[in-house]
Amino acid sequence: MSDLSSSLPEAPEAAPAVKDLSVFVPEAHRRPGELGAAALGFLLGALGYYFALDMTSGEYSSPSVFPKFASALIMACTGVILLRGLKKDKQKDGPGLAAFLLPMDVVVVLILLVAYCVALPWLRFVPSSFLFMVIGMVYLQRGKNIVRAVLISAASLAVLVAIFRYLFMVILP
Amino acid sequence: MEQSFQYFLIPFLSWEMMLLIWAGVFAGIWVGAIPGLSVTMAASLLISFTFSWDLNHALALICGVFVGGVYGGSITAILLNIPGAPAAIATGIEGYPLAQLGEAGKAIGLCTTVSVFASFVGILALSVAAPVIANFSLKFSPRDFFLLAVMGILLIGSIGGGDPVKGVAAGAVGVLLSMVGMDPSTGELRYTFGNIHLMAGISFVTAMIGLFGVSEALTQFRNAGKKSPKQNLDRIIPSWATFVKYLPLSIRSSLLGVFIGALPGTGGDVAALLAYDQAKRTVRNPSRPFGTGAYEGIVAPETANKGAIGGAFIPMLTLGIPGDAVTAIIIGALYIHGLKPGPMLMIETPHLFWMIVSCLSIASVALMVLGLVSVKPFAKIIEIPKEIIMPVVIILSVIGTYAIQNSVVDIFYMIGFGILGYFMRLYGYATGPMVLGLILGPMLDANYRRAMQGAENQLLPFLEGFVTNPISLFLTLSIVFLVFSQTKVYRRWRGFE
Repeated sequence: MSDLSSSLPEAPEAAPAVKDLSVFVPEAHRRPGELGAAALGFLLGALGYYFALDMTSGEYSSPSVFPKFASALIMACTGVILLRGLKKDKQKDGPGLAAFLLPMDVVVVLILLVAYCVALPWLRFVPSSFLFMVIGMVYLQRGKNIVRAVLISAASLAVLVAIFRYLFMVILP
Repeated sequence: MEQSFQYFLIPFLSWEMMLLIWAGVFAGIWVGAIPGLSVTMAASLLISFTFSWDLNHALALICGVFVGGVYGGSITAILLNIPGAPAAIATGIEGYPLAQLGEAGKAIGLCTTVSVFASFVGILALSVAAPVIANFSLKFSPRDFFLLAVMGILLIGSIGGGDPVKGVAAGAVGVLLSMVGMDPSTGELRYTFGNIHLMAGISFVTAMIGLFGVSEALTQFRNAGKKSPKQNLDRIIPSWATFVKYLPLSIRSSLLGVFIGALPGTGGDVAALLAYDQAKRTVRNPSRPFGTGAYEGIVAPETANKGAIGGAFIPMLTLGIPGDAVTAIIIGALYIHGLKPGPMLMIETPHLFWMIVSCLSIASVALMVLGLVSVKPFAKIIEIPKEIIMPVVIILSVIGTYAIQNSVVDIFYMIGFGILGYFMRLYGYATGPMVLGLILGPMLDANYRRAMQGAENQLLPFLEGFVTNPISLFLTLSIVFLVFSQTKVYRRWRGFE
């Protein structure tokens, strides 16, 4: 055992024990759309409470107790976040809302993802997944290595189908 | 005693059983690693698969899958920040930063070693203290389960990221979403808006895959050009000194896991989260600050969810009450093979008890070997460029989601949760508390209402129960302590600040 311990890692002990306090420092500027996100959260809480009013209530054990409690908590928290956001300055030189939320790569992947989901019931699992993987990989590699993307997609799909469909007997979409 | 030992040796003397246990562990590691493919699902598939087999062989395979599957969930949590199962959510909080630092190999190596240790703690508890723990766990009332869920909800402080208000908001949204569907006690529909797909509620596994898997992939695409970190795979097995250093924490968390696992209805997921929180509160000098790759944050949840395996068998074998979903399926298997799980099981078929103990022990050894052998290939996954790995992750998320109940609608939910998670991350809302809310919401709601009905809807008798019942009093005081331990006064007193 001593041989083993001498040749093995010290990393967990040697790791730097510097305390990172950056997460506790409030940001000076608000991110683009931060207020809108908090307002949407507040709206969700308000709607949650509104629809909970239709549920049976009147007793401490009614089905509406927790939905009302959770909705009220969401409203309280997002209210605080909203007020805190109002006190922060707007970022001047930062990206605009669209660029912050949805950079081009994310937009393309989201469109591909939605198209994949819509195509899934029509084309079935193998063709739609193959197309999704090839188009996704080719786009993200900026049009390079098309043959590699096709080969990797085909190989990984073959492995996935073999493992899930035939070994684990999982039904694929 | 001699006879018990003979029963214990049954699997050791059968090469078929040995082979099945090892095969089960191997398959379990892979099933567990894929988000959405759960041990529960694998065990239920195996029941039909092994219907005509000898019971011993069927149990050997299921025990192997159980042990391997709980471990496998942590691999993807560490490598890709996508937990393979809810029990691995806490592991990812510290494991993923470690992978980003190039220490995925060491993290998985440590995870494997402490997992095997914790499995043996669970097995030891099962073989030595099963009847005592089982009887004690039966004394838990709905009020106590409610208090346990409240303890779980307090974890938001630990996993909520930097801003506790945003953590609470995300957790409350999770609780609200968990209310969607048919109320199990009255049958009343909540937030279904006449939609038939919403009547069964929102599966927290679907939400977990979306919030962790797809949102992680989308977030990674924001930095598409960034190279994946190179992994240091020279030294994987933790040194003896490292193991000894984490031994007290491992023992504490494993025992917590055994106990939580033994409580009917709670399993490795709750145990792992509670253990992570407990470690965060009690470890004074972590290897790194929690949240940035503290090894203690891997040791605690991993030992708790493995301890919970042995724990889950305790009420199942002694009382016929399942400790979690997998043991519920094993009870079904016993019925299919003509046995009657219940208090008489250990008297009528003592060999079964010792054989399960033996199968779990062999599975733990197999886990040690197969886990350590797979560290290098697993860790290599993270070095694959994200332009290639992330589309595959999305496909895996789709397979895992569809496999839950063969529903395309679930895939849409999953993608929706993925997009929501992506936006949440952009604004500093951690996704962990939302999943926590989804997991604990039904437990909070159902047990609070049962406890309140037990007190005949009177507030005073309901509150009295918290201080008059010893178990409730202990749990209430624990909650008070947990809240107090977050205050500056306590942290200064204990030297944390």
